[in-house]
Amino acid sequence: MTNLHHTSSPKNGESKKPCIAFSGDGDAVVCRFGGKWSLNDDFRDELQQDWKSYLKRNSSFNEMSFELEESVQWDSTLVVFLSKMIGTLDASGKKIVLNDLPEGLRSLLNMSGLSPTLSKNQYANRKLYFPDLKFLFFASRFVSFWGEWVLAFSRLVCGKSKMRWYDFAEAARSSGASALPIVTLISFLTGLTMAFVGSVQLEKFNAKIYVADLVSLAMVREMGALMVAIIMAGRTGAAFAAEIGNMKLNEEIDSLRTFGISPIDFLVLPRTLALFLMTPLLTLYADVVGMLGGLAVGTQVMDFSVLHYFEQTQSALSSMWEIFSGLLKSLLFGLIIGLVGCYKGLNAGSNSASLGKAVTSAVVLSITLIVVCDAMFEIIFSYLDLR
Amino acid sequence: MSEELEKVSKVLELKEVGLSYGDHKVLEKVSFAVREGDCVVVIGGSGCGKSTVLKAMTGLLEPNGGKVMVRGRDYWASDSVERSLITKEFGVLFQGGALWSSMSLMENVSLPLKTHTALGDEEIAQIASYKLSLVGLRGFENFYPSELSGGMKKRAGLARAMALDPKVLFLDEPSAGLDPLTSRRLDDLINELKESLGITFVVITHELASIFEIADYAVFLDAETKTLIDQGTPLQLLHSSAHDQVRAFLSRGNETP
Repeated sequence: MTNLHHTSSPKNGESKKPCIAFSGDGDAVVCRFGGKWSLNDDFRDELQQDWKSYLKRNSSFNEMSFELEESVQWDSTLVVFLSKMIGTLDASGKKIVLNDLPEGLRSLLNMSGLSPTLSKNQYANRKLYFPDLKFLFFASRFVSFWGEWVLAFSRLVCGKSKMRWYDFAEAARSSGASALPIVTLISFLTGLTMAFVGSVQLEKFNAKIYVADLVSLAMVREMGALMVAIIMAGRTGAAFAAEIGNMKLNEEIDSLRTFGISPIDFLVLPRTLALFLMTPLLTLYADVVGMLGGLAVGTQVMDFSVLHYFEQTQSALSSMWEIFSGLLKSLLFGLIIGLVGCYKGLNAGSNSASLGKAVTSAVVLSITLIVVCDAMFEIIFSYLDLR
Repeated sequence: MSEELEKVSKVLELKEVGLSYGDHKVLEKVSFAVREGDCVVVIGGSGCGKSTVLKAMTGLLEPNGGKVMVRGRDYWASDSVERSLITKEFGVLFQGGALWSSMSLMENVSLPLKTHTALGDEEIAQIASYKLSLVGLRGFENFYPSELSGGMKKRAGLARAMALDPKVLFLDEPSAGLDPLTSRRLDDLINELKESLGITFVVITHELASIFEIADYAVFLDAETKTLIDQGTPLQLLHSSAHDQVRAFLSRGNETP
């Protein structure tokens, strides 16, 4: 009877390291665990190597039994290590004897169910998907959502809608009146910045008074609508997505459906309509405040009189179309922000991580769509000779 | 004639229904019937698709196979007008109550009444506070859902589910998270409503005590085979189910007598 003896740590008992010892003849091997098995160290990698090299050198045995030394201290690491060993042995068809292990460890092994067959198919269900096709899928769903919205809107026009006007008023207040301070600040500073930038350039041509034209035209055509839309996307669009997404999480949307109440009528319509009406109003307000920003620079820095600046602005805006074109854009921007926010909320997943994702993508998508639409508007206007 | 009677007394019937979320299959070939005036409980381990079955029965999730028959009519083959007539008979209590968070309890219960009836405001208010008092929430009419405890939300959800005097009530884990006494009172309420108003119940529950208290019939869903493996009265299932896991479930893992 040859006695195989292999230890992986210097001396059992002495050190606090975990260790394994193999003993026994060629057919039946005994594996003893000793030392301290603890989550707080990382000696298991070494042991893993030892175990693998042991298996390589001794593959002739048919049976392995496990036991613990008296002095051993162990926690989950031993359970996991042991179940890995069992897995390997099981896969190579060896007989495993656990009878000498303490009752508690055996039942832990049993309960953990860590066997190699369990995790094999973990990735089998995961599919490759094509991001571009996913985009098409999203686009078609968004278009059908838009269609549902139009139907709901026509129900409202016919007086058959279940929309609560209170919800509309509340959404109008929170997206309109409450946004006034931030819109004031941002558009005043936008007008002010443009006046500064413009004054430096125009001074070279001795045409400083055209700062008034620059600021007023830029505000009413572009910056007013764009700045308000970006504020609305970050402020209100995100809020819509979060609100509705949270309602979905709490099954509130499902419970509306069970009462035959359409979430589009009840939740989406009041919010989008409120934004549809509030965005142009805020844009008009932002146009005026932006011009005041320009006026501040014109009078305080460039020493124009208020009246002079005002008259110059008036002549720049001789056509009402300049103002209407900006308001026209902002109508569409408001609708886009409302629809995207509500769509993302309604399609949020059913956990809180996906709620965050929905809010983020609502903001990103609406800002992207706004900039794209703005560019399209400008192209169309210039081809139609409206500029 | 008896066949005819059978048909009428079946309020709801699932025929070989298969359900999935996208590519993820949840259940296959589930068939069972709910008879008028019965209380049917749906049981099974966590994640076996009980709530999904409830969604299929209440018209929230379209099955990808099989039929959902409501009083002999195929629900998913009907048009939207017919469907809303069918679901008007239903009341659903969701797991967390699912109260509309922007509305007070009063508004929560009255909204379905406002939507589906021609009653005046005063009468609606009376009915709503009556429903709230049925579940022991008298005096909480003007509270918002965020001001209530979990158990109260659930009871308010039940009041809302009963708003339109439904013929069928679906309850998703009504007693989970309730203390033993409240949970017992809920069981009594279910039995009372069943006796006095003849309401049919479909209840998802894990509570063994309430299963034996309220159920006339039980169906057992199995997560592993993804299908319905046994159905019968709770006592039948407990004593003579052919499946070990059904007997183990109903006896809490103890050996069946």
